[in-house]
Amino acid sequence: MESRTWRDNVIDALKANNITLIVHVADRVLAPIITKLEADPFFKVVTLSREEEGIGILTGAYMGGQRGALLLQSSGFGNILNALGSLALPYQIPFVILLSPRGYLMEHNVVQLAWGKALPTTIDALDMQVFDLTSPDEVPFKADKGIKHAFVTRRPVVLSISTQLSGGKDGAH
Amino acid sequence: MALTSANIQRMSRADLTSRVLGMVDDDTAIIGGIGNAGFDLFSAGDRPGNFYMLGSMGMAVPIGLGLALAQPERTVIVMEGEGSVLMTLGTLATVGREAPPNLTIIVWDNAQWQLTGGQTTATGVATDLSVVAQGCGIANSNAPTNETEFEQAVRYALDAPSPHAIVAHIDAEPASGRPHDDPIVTKYQFMQAMGQQLE
Repeated sequence: MESRTWRDNVIDALKANNITLIVHVADRVLAPIITKLEADPFFKVVTLSREEEGIGILTGAYMGGQRGALLLQSSGFGNILNALGSLALPYQIPFVILLSPRGYLMEHNVVQLAWGKALPTTIDALDMQVFDLTSPDEVPFKADKGIKHAFVTRRPVVLSISTQLSGGKDGAH
Repeated sequence: MALTSANIQRMSRADLTSRVLGMVDDDTAIIGGIGNAGFDLFSAGDRPGNFYMLGSMGMAVPIGLGLALAQPERTVIVMEGEGSVLMTLGTLATVGREAPPNLTIIVWDNAQWQLTGGQTTATGVATDLSVVAQGCGIANSNAPTNETEFEQAVRYALDAPSPHAIVAHIDAEPASGRPHDDPIVTKYQFMQAMGQQLE
């Protein structure tokens, strides 16, 4: 039997928690996950023009009874701040943000550093929680429990795919 | 002929909102955007199927899209000001791409950011949002020039499965009331109307 990769484990956790709506702006770390999601009829996948609209789409879907996840790169997290602060957080809308961080280890573009460093501070300032997916063996537990945490706390929760796990932008892990 | 401020007959947002409310059933969801769009929705007829956005400028159309995708059998109407639509213009492309058959976007276009002092928006100078919507793949997009045409456009939108955009040129009369400003209450009332169990 083909062994399950960390990407499969993330998708399994989405399925186990009935996350059926995926909205995304891709990057190279997320791309193989998005390809798998698009090939799976369990998921409805919406390609966004800009990350911010994903917060609105997930809010509308949640109020209509459908759970969702937003897949984005950390640079795109900068595009969702007001929608988080004045929609998802005050209205208590739970969903998953699957984040591919830039600006950390293995970064090779200097312009990614400033926001990459500010992002964890910003997420903390919003009183949101991040669960880092760092090693393959912890992904099944952390992805599943992290998703559950969003719906128990009625808040968006961030699952951050570390470059150690993914191999970064050019990685093949 | 291009619509200019000289030849546009500007209608009343409150009046048009009331006309829409008179045409929909109780199951129809209506998303009211930030500012006067939501205020007039409340003033014209508060109802459980109304959702009022209190911040997050530009998010009314995405909220409507998400709801339309989650509940494909339900009619979803978004009422949104043109300033907010301009802020999230890319969403029209997402709507065109997804083509939800149950979503209608009504744009209240008074060519100004009314709440912040009447600064002129791009629609007052150069931009035609009904053409933009059509270019984004929302084929059923139009700009009614009077109340009769507006009602005909809404009736068509309710009857013909397709995404629709209706750009109504309105005046700058402020809304007469404002909805409850507690987001949690707003959310739960709306979710109950959408048939959702409270968690």
